[in-house]
Amino acid sequence: MAPVVPTSGPQPVARRPLPAAAAAAAGDLWLAAHLSAPAPESLLERLAAAAGEITPRVSLEPPDGVLLEVRGSLALFGGVEAVCKKLRTAGRRVGVQVRLALAPTPLAALAGARAPYRRGRSVFRVMHRAELVGALAPLPLAVLRLPEDVIGRLAKTGVTEIGQVLRLPRAGLARRFGPETLAALDRLVGAKADPRRHVTPRERYRARREPSYELTNQQAITGFLTPMLAELEVFLRGRQGSIMALECRLHHREGAVTRCRLRFAQPTFAAAAIGFLLGERLATTMLAAPVAACELVSSRLVSRQSASAALWQPDEHGGNLAHEAPALIERLRARLGEENVYGLCLVPEHRPEKAWQRVAALRGLATAANASGPQPVARGPLPVTARRPLWLLSTPLSLPAGDIWPHYEGPLEKLAGPERIETGWWDGRDVERDYYVMRSRAAVQLWVYRERHPPHAWFLHGVFG
Amino acid sequence: MSVNPRLARLLEHPALWRGRSAARVPTWSTGYPMLDAGLPGGGWPRAGLVEILTPQPGVGELHLLVPALARLTGLTPARWVAWIAPPFEPFAPALAARGVVLDRQLVVRTHLPLWAMEQALGSGACEAALAWAQEARPRDLRRLQLATERGRTLGFVFRNLAAAREASPAELRLSIVPQGEGVEVELIKSRGGSRERIRMEIGGG
Repeated sequence: MAPVVPTSGPQPVARRPLPAAAAAAAGDLWLAAHLSAPAPESLLERLAAAAGEITPRVSLEPPDGVLLEVRGSLALFGGVEAVCKKLRTAGRRVGVQVRLALAPTPLAALAGARAPYRRGRSVFRVMHRAELVGALAPLPLAVLRLPEDVIGRLAKTGVTEIGQVLRLPRAGLARRFGPETLAALDRLVGAKADPRRHVTPRERYRARREPSYELTNQQAITGFLTPMLAELEVFLRGRQGSIMALECRLHHREGAVTRCRLRFAQPTFAAAAIGFLLGERLATTMLAAPVAACELVSSRLVSRQSASAALWQPDEHGGNLAHEAPALIERLRARLGEENVYGLCLVPEHRPEKAWQRVAALRGLATAANASGPQPVARGPLPVTARRPLWLLSTPLSLPAGDIWPHYEGPLEKLAGPERIETGWWDGRDVERDYYVMRSRAAVQLWVYRERHPPHAWFLHGVFG
Repeated sequence: MSVNPRLARLLEHPALWRGRSAARVPTWSTGYPMLDAGLPGGGWPRAGLVEILTPQPGVGELHLLVPALARLTGLTPARWVAWIAPPFEPFAPALAARGVVLDRQLVVRTHLPLWAMEQALGSGACEAALAWAQEARPRDLRRLQLATERGRTLGFVFRNLAAAREASPAELRLSIVPQGEGVEVELIKSRGGSRERIRMEIGGG
C-alpha cells in the first residue's frame, strides 16, 4: 500500500507557522542521553545530578533518558564536542553507557538518541530548526514512542518513518489517530512549545552503595568511599553548594550501624579534603563487624562562598590565618572527637564554674555569649579586687579537714580569704561558699572553698598556677 | 673596625649559631624585665620550642607565660593559642582579666598530646602552643622543635623536673621551683645565654 501523500489543500504537519510560545523557546538546543536499557529512577537521578555541572536545566525522561538544555553551555565549555564528552564522562562515573543526540526540540533530541546509529555519524546532531524535519525524516517511527495501536495502524497504511507521518494532512491525522498524536508531532518539530520540568537540586546529599564483597579494614572502606565522595563533590559543584557536616554510615550484615559524623569548621565541598578527614576519623573508629554497605548523608547545602586568594604570602604579616586555622581545627576534631576541641568564652556569672563556657572553636565571642542553654542572669563584671586562679578543676575535689584548715598533700597554710560567693538561688543550684587562697606544702597556691551549709565540707576548686 | 660585608651577612644568618653571641632571634617580651634580661634575645623566641620543668603543675609556670600570651593574642590579625592536654581547665575569667583574648584560645583534650602539639605547631595557625606532655622523649621534642620552625610558632612543653637530666633538643629549657613568696627560674639550656638562676616574684592574683 502506497503512503498517503498529500498533494494540495490540507497543510502537512511540518509546515505550520510557529506560534509565539514556541518561537520563544526556539533558541533552545537539547541534548538527550539515552541509556541502552531501562534503568531505575534513582540511577537517572544520579545521572541528572552528574549532568548538573553542565547546565541547571536537566530533566528526566524515564525510564531510560535524560534531557539537557545546552545552548548556553556550548560557549562555556567550548563547543558541542566538549559538552558531549562531559556528559559521557558523567555517564561513566555513574556507571551507564549513554547514546547522545542534539536537536532544537526535546522530542527530536530523544528520537535522535533512540535511533540506531547511521553510517559515518555517531551523534544525531541538528543545530538549527530549518534542518530538523529533514534530519528526522529517515528515522523509524518507533523512536517517537507513540502508543502501540497508533504505530500499528500507521504501519498498516505503510507509514514507518517519521518523514512519512509528517507529510500526512493534519486534519485527517487528528481525526484518525487522535489529537494527542498530532500534538506530539507538533512538539517534535517545534510547532508547539514543549516545556520541561527541571530536576530541582536536592537539599541534602544521600547515597548508599553496597560493595560486591564485605569490607573488613579501614583501607578497603576508604578506597570504597573515594568514588562516592567524588560523586558528592560533583553533586555539590552542580549546585554551587557546600556542606557543613557529613555522616558516613557503615552498615553491617547485622547489628547496629556504625556512624562517623564529620563537622566542618567551614563550608566544604572538596572530595579530597573530606576524604582526608573521613580517613582520620575511620582510623580511630572500632568496627564491630565487616561492612556490608556504605551510606553518605550530608547536611543541608549552603551556598558556596568563593574564597579569595590571600594578598600576603604565608610568611608575611600573618597572611595565612584564614586558611590554616579551620584546617587545623578540623584535623584535630576528626582525630580526637568534636567535644575534645573547644574554645573559651565568658558568661557574666559569679559562680566560678558557670562563669565560663566551652564553645565550638571558630565561633565568635558574640554568638557564644548568646548561646542557648542556661541564660546568665547576674550582670556586671567580676569584682576587680578578687583573686582568681588561672586553673579551675572541672569538678571540685573534696579535701579532708584538718585542725583549722583542710589538708591537700599535707596541711595547708592560709594566704587570703575568706571571700564569700553566695548566688544562684534563682535556678536552684545556689552556692554559698567561702573561698580562701591557700598554699600547699609544695608551695602551690590553691583556691579552696568551704560550704556554708553543714557539714561545712572543704573543696579544692582551683590552682593559681 | 670594619667587618668583611660577606662575613657580616653570614653572621646575620638565623641558622648560624654563635656561642655567647648576641644571636639575633626575634622574641616576645615575657613581661618580666628580670626574666627578659636573662633570656637570649630578651624574651621568648617567636619560633622555637621552650621546655618548662616544674616539680609539680601549678607552681607558677602559667603566670610566667600569661603576659606574653596576652600580648600575642592582642595582635591584629592574631593567630591562635592552643592548650594541649592541660592538667585542669583554663579559667577563662582569670585569663580575660589578664588581657588574654579568649576567642583565640583553643583547648584540646587528648591522650595524644605530642601528635596534637605537632599539628598545632606545624600548621601555622597558632602563634603559640602549650602542651603538657610528661612522656615526651628527646626524639619527640626534636620533631616538635622542627614543627615550630615550620609553622613559625612558639611552643611550650611542660614536664616534670625529673626530666632535667635527660638531653633535650629544645631551644630553651628552664626549671621553675617555688622559693618563699616567689619562684626561682633556672636557665638550664639557652642558645647564647648563660646558665643562671633568676629569683622573681610572679602572679599576685
